Amino acid sequence: MTGRFDKRRYQVHHVTRYSYDDDVEAVYNRGFLRPRDTETQLVLDSEVVVDPEPDSVTEHLDYFGNHSTYLETRSLYRTLEVSCRSTVEVDRPEPDLAALDATSVGDAARELAVDADPVLHADFTLPSPLVSRSPEVARYAAGILSPERPLGEALADLYRRIHADFAYQHGATSVRTTLEDLLRLRRGVCQDFAHLAVGCLRWAGLPARYVSGYLETQPPPGREKLQGADASHAWLAVLTPSQGWIDLDPTNDQVADSRYIVTAWGRDFTDVSPLRGIVYTEAKHSDLSVAVDVLPLP
Amino acid sequence: MSVQVAQSASGVVDAYRLHPARASFDELLDADGVRPHQAALAATIEAMGTAGLLAARAETRTFVADEGVTYGSTAARTSRRWAIDPLPVLVEAGEWTRLARGLAQRADLLDRVFVDLYGDRLLLRRRVLPAAAVLGHPGFLRPADGPVPGDSRRLLLVAADLGRDAAGTWRVISDRTADPAGAGFAMVTRRIVSRVMAGLHRSSDLARLRGFFQTVTAALMDAAPGSVETPRVVVLSPGSASDIGFDTSFLATMLGFDVVEADDLVTSRGRPWLRAGDRLEPVDVVLRRVEAAMSDPLEFRGNSEIGLPGLIEAARNGHVGIANPVGAGVLDNPALIAHLDGVAEALLGETLLLRSPQTWWCGEPAGLSHVRANLARLVLKPIDRDSGGMRYGWQLNAAERDELAARIAAEPWAWCGQEPLELSTAPVVTGTGLEPRRFVLRGFGVASGAGFQFLPGGLGRVAGSTREFSVSHRAGTLAKDVWVPSAALADDLAPARPRLAVVAAAHPVRVTPRVARTLLAIGRHAERAESTARLLKVADDLAEDHSSRPGTPGAAAMDVVNGAVARITGIERRYAEAPVEYLTRVALDAAAPGGVRFNARVLVDRAQRVRDLMSVDTWSVLGRLERTLATAPPPDQPLLPLLENVLESLLAWAGILAQSMVRDSSWAFLDAGGRLERAQHTVKLLTATAEPAPVAAELTSEAVLRASESIITHRRRAASGTGPAQAGESALTLLLLEEANPRSVAHQLVALAADLRLVGDEPLAAEAERVRLRLETDADLPVATRLTTLAGDLRRLDGSIAERHFARQATRHTAETDWDLGGAR
Repeated sequence: MTGRFDKRRYQVHHVTRYSYDDDVEAVYNRGFLRPRDTETQLVLDSEVVVDPEPDSVTEHLDYFGNHSTYLETRSLYRTLEVSCRSTVEVDRPEPDLAALDATSVGDAARELAVDADPVLHADFTLPSPLVSRSPEVARYAAGILSPERPLGEALADLYRRIHADFAYQHGATSVRTTLEDLLRLRRGVCQDFAHLAVGCLRWAGLPARYVSGYLETQPPPGREKLQGADASHAWLAVLTPSQGWIDLDPTNDQVADSRYIVTAWGRDFTDVSPLRGIVYTEAKHSDLSVAVDVLPLP
Repeated sequence: MSVQVAQSASGVVDAYRLHPARASFDELLDADGVRPHQAALAATIEAMGTAGLLAARAETRTFVADEGVTYGSTAARTSRRWAIDPLPVLVEAGEWTRLARGLAQRADLLDRVFVDLYGDRLLLRRRVLPAAAVLGHPGFLRPADGPVPGDSRRLLLVAADLGRDAAGTWRVISDRTADPAGAGFAMVTRRIVSRVMAGLHRSSDLARLRGFFQTVTAALMDAAPGSVETPRVVVLSPGSASDIGFDTSFLATMLGFDVVEADDLVTSRGRPWLRAGDRLEPVDVVLRRVEAAMSDPLEFRGNSEIGLPGLIEAARNGHVGIANPVGAGVLDNPALIAHLDGVAEALLGETLLLRSPQTWWCGEPAGLSHVRANLARLVLKPIDRDSGGMRYGWQLNAAERDELAARIAAEPWAWCGQEPLELSTAPVVTGTGLEPRRFVLRGFGVASGAGFQFLPGGLGRVAGSTREFSVSHRAGTLAKDVWVPSAALADDLAPARPRLAVVAAAHPVRVTPRVARTLLAIGRHAERAESTARLLKVADDLAEDHSSRPGTPGAAAMDVVNGAVARITGIERRYAEAPVEYLTRVALDAAAPGGVRFNARVLVDRAQRVRDLMSVDTWSVLGRLERTLATAPPPDQPLLPLLENVLESLLAWAGILAQSMVRDSSWAFLDAGGRLERAQHTVKLLTATAEPAPVAAELTSEAVLRASESIITHRRRAASGTGPAQAGESALTLLLLEEANPRSVAHQLVALAADLRLVGDEPLAAEAERVRLRLETDADLPVATRLTTLAGDLRRLDGSIAERHFARQATRHTAETDWDLGGAR
């Protein structure tokens, strides 16, 4: 058994399928489907397949360096399937949180304000559409990220506290849920926890970004892993003066390791929504299903 | 002309001199009297006197009404008349030359800032501009980032709001690059003021505005990607929700481009297309009047109905030019003003020729503490104007000041403080003489060659009262025409090569489904108003003669015709409602669908939606129609004169259609709407009057013939024995079969077939002809059967036109992968 920070290879297969009860005349999609290269991740190959075949497919690197795909399908259809299959190698070193304790949260924030690239610093410390600044977030963050607190200890406390304070529950929140709502509800899903952590870090003056991707999951002991049982995942990364970006996962109460595969990052979910579409149809009902497989490769 | 002339006569200028509300700098007067370059204006004012000035003001109002110039949204019912002060503001030649040079330098600078902010962002990385002031601005649109082919990122249009400080020096209050609107208003204001002040205008050698618009046309065509011979430019409008619908359509007309809405366009194969008739035609350039964040629901707000999905992607790949490019709104930013000196130094190596009132950005400690300490005397501006939080510190009470200070402390990077600008005053005509009002000027620029060229003058505005020290869009604000002598124009501002003729020839006019639908509705409602008014006229006549003689054949005919009014309009006569009362209601009740006023209202509303396709004479005619219908005659007065006035307006409207419109698709749909309506109305009228009591038959049929303008033909033919003696028989021939009668159904069908051929629909044209042939072959069948069949045929024809020409795109939905799909744990 290899350690969780050792180099790993995965094949990721992500299928999104929309079905409608009437013809769709046209659909325009934008998605962040293909994983990006990062300092700790190499994408060996990746391919997007769409059915029915789109009239137009283009891709560009977006503002944050993510692969952004544009799809345009103007043939009549009732089911649209967008899938992406990628082979990724992840080699994420374990961050040394204890070493970060040499500096305090406040000092780190001050240092980064001076030394970090101004663009990057402003992008990831200013509020964003789903991460607003509010007294509620400030109150929650103040108990964790007080300026005098050693940085490593504070970061570890952040993902632990969110994990302890919030119940994981599907359907409790939506894209419209604000951080204030979340703090009242005390329940949510990975996106919510990532946003809250980002909000707290930004309150403390630390640049923080939202990361979207996948996490290899283990089947329950003694059971076969089911196909399509994996899911996309979201966590966050914080910029530190001495160790650069460190990825934290409050949903799973840990720092990210080599089982975390990055697709894209941005200020919050709105920057990296996996697949959104504008659909022209008179259909009354639509179904969306997503299947994700993260297969470890030898 | 000497200053003495101005001091004679009516004393209006003297009274103005003594007015206490004049600012340190007044446009008309200085400490010694009339400013030399204003002498002609002052002399004109004196000669006009108060009465003449008020007459001029009244005349501008009439012109505004006649041209239908409005500001505000018809959808939101905030639409109101554009208001213009008749007195122009003259800017001296040398002063304008300096001002234009400063504006051009600023435009050039903003253009370079724009390119940098969506490119390397060196201004931010080198801390020339604070990153938070840019990246925290909602107008910084990340999807617009990145390299684009060619120079399609270029700012094409700029505007700046200017005012004078106490010393009279021009200052830029704010920039307007997101949507530099208002040039259309400036042009229409010039048109009206130059007519009202015709003498002064003739004797002043002014720089014309036309050349600027030709340059805009050329610049937009040059913005087309690739090497298209004759690019298609469209003006993308948000529709009737827009405050500046008039400006947009007026501008489009000046430029020679079509106004389109989202439903008129589709993205296909990565580029936008116009849904022209039954085909798609490529769109090369979009002049965007839809707010950037609404322009593409795929990239920005998914619920935007007024944007086009795929537009940004098309621009990104260099398949379409957008003016202004999406993302330009970040330049409308007081925090940029606060740092513009350094930016000019960094990008141009120059100092600014045209400065702004001193501005502090609160994102910097020094700025924040200055603004805090001076909150009560500064203008407090959020970096994003659209957030609507601008405050005048001196207008706030202590509690409001504290609240604002707290907001600024919470998000200092989002706020600026700016020194207030005193602004100059300019004389405005009021009922009590001239009043000094604060004056601002919006200047308009367009990319031309390597630089920018400015509209000589611009859109002047003055405050609503002497007590207001700023000029906003609020009600009460007046527009001012701004006059610049032709001597101020440098040679390099010669109009660009006019390319309009080429455009028109290259793109045959095919209208989009939305426009076709709207035009047909215009034709239909105009005809419906007319035919209803004619019927009411006949019904009113019968009521005048017979309503007091129940039981007579005349009264019976009156009842039949009133019944026909009810059946045709759907407006029922109320219990115990007197006939004339009822007919008045059908004519004037704005809330009764089917009534004359209601149809006129719909007609005007639809015409405003396709204003750019309407003849300029339209608005005075429609304005008069609405005014006529807005006032009921006194209870004891006959309805007839009003109905005659209504018909006169509608005839004038028909005259515009017949005499002033090119016979193209637009005209064909307008005409088709009228034809369908007239045919259907006639069938309904004949059906509703088909079986009167025998004693009333002749009178009823005569009434029908009168309501259909065919009574004279009937009488002439009856007298000469060339037609039936009985009105009933005559009506059926004249109103159904007689192709030569322009009121007959047969005539409408022939015309409709021609209209359909004009829009390229041969199958439906043939169908219209078949319906006409059937009229003849069915001539021996019972009347009721013939009318029922015909009504069905017309309804089907109507439906087929809608189906084939008005197809909307399917309903738009937003699909997003669910929020809580994620969450491996």
